[in-house]
Amino acid sequence: MEFKLEAHRIVSISLGKIYNSRVQRGGIKLHKNLLVSLVLRSARQVYLSDPCPGLYLAGPTGTPAVPPPQQPGEPVAGPPSGWGEPPPPAGRAAWPEPEPPPQRPMVCHTPGAGSSEPVTSVAGAGDALRGGETDSAAAACCPPAREEQPVGDGSPAPPAPCPRKRGAAGVGGGRAGCPAPGSTPLKKPRRNSEEQPSTTDEDTDEEMETGNVANLISIFGSSFSGLLRKSPAGGREEEEAEESGPEAAEPGQICCDKPVLRDMSPWSTAIVAF
Amino acid sequence: MRADIISTVEFNYSGDLLATGDKGGRVVIFQREQENKGRAHSRGEYNVYSTFQSHEPEFDYLKSLEIEEKINKIRWLPQQNAAHFLLSTNDKTIKLWKISERDKRAEGYNLKDEDGRLRDPFRITALRVPILKPMDLMVEASPRRIFANAHTYHINSISVNSDHETYLSADDLRINLWHLEITDRSFNIVDIKPANMEELTEVITAAEFHPHQCNVFVYSSSKGTIRLCDMRSSALCDRHAKFFEEPEDPSSRSFFSEIISSISDVKFSHSGRYMMTRDYLSVKVWDLNMEGRPVETHQVHEYLRSKLCSLYENDCIFDKFECCWNGSDSAIMTGSYNNFFRMFDRNTRRDVTLEASRENSKPRASLKPRKVCTGGKRKKDEISVDSLDFNKKILHTAWHPMESIIAVAATNNLYIFQDKIN
Repeated sequence: MEFKLEAHRIVSISLGKIYNSRVQRGGIKLHKNLLVSLVLRSARQVYLSDPCPGLYLAGPTGTPAVPPPQQPGEPVAGPPSGWGEPPPPAGRAAWPEPEPPPQRPMVCHTPGAGSSEPVTSVAGAGDALRGGETDSAAAACCPPAREEQPVGDGSPAPPAPCPRKRGAAGVGGGRAGCPAPGSTPLKKPRRNSEEQPSTTDEDTDEEMETGNVANLISIFGSSFSGLLRKSPAGGREEEEAEESGPEAAEPGQICCDKPVLRDMSPWSTAIVAF
Repeated sequence: MRADIISTVEFNYSGDLLATGDKGGRVVIFQREQENKGRAHSRGEYNVYSTFQSHEPEFDYLKSLEIEEKINKIRWLPQQNAAHFLLSTNDKTIKLWKISERDKRAEGYNLKDEDGRLRDPFRITALRVPILKPMDLMVEASPRRIFANAHTYHINSISVNSDHETYLSADDLRINLWHLEITDRSFNIVDIKPANMEELTEVITAAEFHPHQCNVFVYSSSKGTIRLCDMRSSALCDRHAKFFEEPEDPSSRSFFSEIISSISDVKFSHSGRYMMTRDYLSVKVWDLNMEGRPVETHQVHEYLRSKLCSLYENDCIFDKFECCWNGSDSAIMTGSYNNFFRMFDRNTRRDVTLEASRENSKPRASLKPRKVCTGGKRKKDEISVDSLDFNKKILHTAWHPMESIIAVAATNNLYIFQDKIN
């Protein structure tokens, strides 16, 4: 259990570092961010291997909604006593709610100022931004001065504000807290509208649905491409879907066996924690 | 962040000059006093020779990025005439500086008087030949070449080739080869940028040319590996000729295993037969003929292994320590925290921890070896791990190429120590 707490703490610290690195003088340090992303991944793996995955679904009281799939020999348990008292605030926000709390300073997705309008603009932005580089997944929220520029900008995420696309937060400089109260309702229309192109154009999927995660991943600069390809739907869906297993997986997902879902959840909850 | 924090230290080939670069973009060069000059006690002392502003902060308008003026590396060129040349680099731009002395000046011009004011030509009735007169020594630094716009990522290394005509510059993902005379183009010789940046798993952390073989260079990675490349084999040296990696010890795995295995510095021995790498907790000496494991591993501060989580929190785990050889390759030196630095004698297998601090450094007094208490009862004069000051870090050290003189940079102070055994 301590490992889980430790892992969670490390995840929080790591995300804080990545967030701070974007406002550092001299631009994003690729090396440091890569190392931080590796730590993040290690912490995540420990998190997954620790036998208390039901906590993803825990209500405010901390009790799991559904007993998690158990390893043989593992005791079926409610949350261990360690979770009885509130964990650090960031963690508390992460676990219980199926609806994500609004605090998400890391990932600058336009707040739901109307569910349909951003949808189309994202699609348009994505198409416009996608250049020669394949990691335009993260470009949805970000100005074109990213990887795809022929100038050869290689920084994974520029720290500058990017007011161009939607007049709202971009990666690296927008409003520190991007409340996204409309993000949950935003998802459904997005998913529906995306279903047509989803089979033909996976990149668009990535930009629209996983814009948040993709931004983060781009910042990490690490090998999370597997996550993106397997779970184009927004991470928060995974929490709800997990308990019903892969059968209830999002439409448009290519591969949605349980391990993948489990992979996504701590990321989404970690992101949500911020 | 203080602008006078020293960010690089480098002796020139003769050891008479010592250059330091700082976070404010300044370069300060010290010169060793000649032995027959002045008081007996000033023999071998280093005094300031020249100070100049090498780099200024810049702004990249296209990417809305500020470019730091901090000097990441200084490398001297071998001396070919009376002037001295060095390369200094910040994150994006490398500059070649010429440092020259002027100790004479011309007097007796016809068209201007001694104050420099122009004289009225109609007033001149006779011509005279200007003569050279001695003046107080003036050291001038002038930028001779500016090598810019070749690096998308942050430059971490420069290395002058043994052919004295070319040099390499390395950033996180690419290494470029330059000719010292040509500034408008460079050759890309290593490119590890993946097609999809999300698949990035390692970056280049340091690179150096072989001291004698002008076609050979090495580069280290954040994964703890070193690749040796031969420029004769192909134009783009993405395929290494040799690959050095030590298998990881599975019992010591932690969240931070990958971070602490990242190599922060790589240096060839003077002989060219060995190379040394520095990772967070140790220095390793590699024989170029053996790729499977290092021939020596020296623990710098193993007591920090249990503190990695705290060091991750306060960012110390990302500190990039450098390392250096002595002139005969018999000893190596690297820095640590609390203004400690460590020296390892490769022959006797003995090591020592010394401290660079004002209190402990009276001129001509010997440094007292220090010891860190790792647990249990702390002996007198020992310092416990928890009392270490992690803000006092020695990242940059340099060893005179021939003599027992070392330069140690402790934050914004430069210490020069000399071995009295002469």
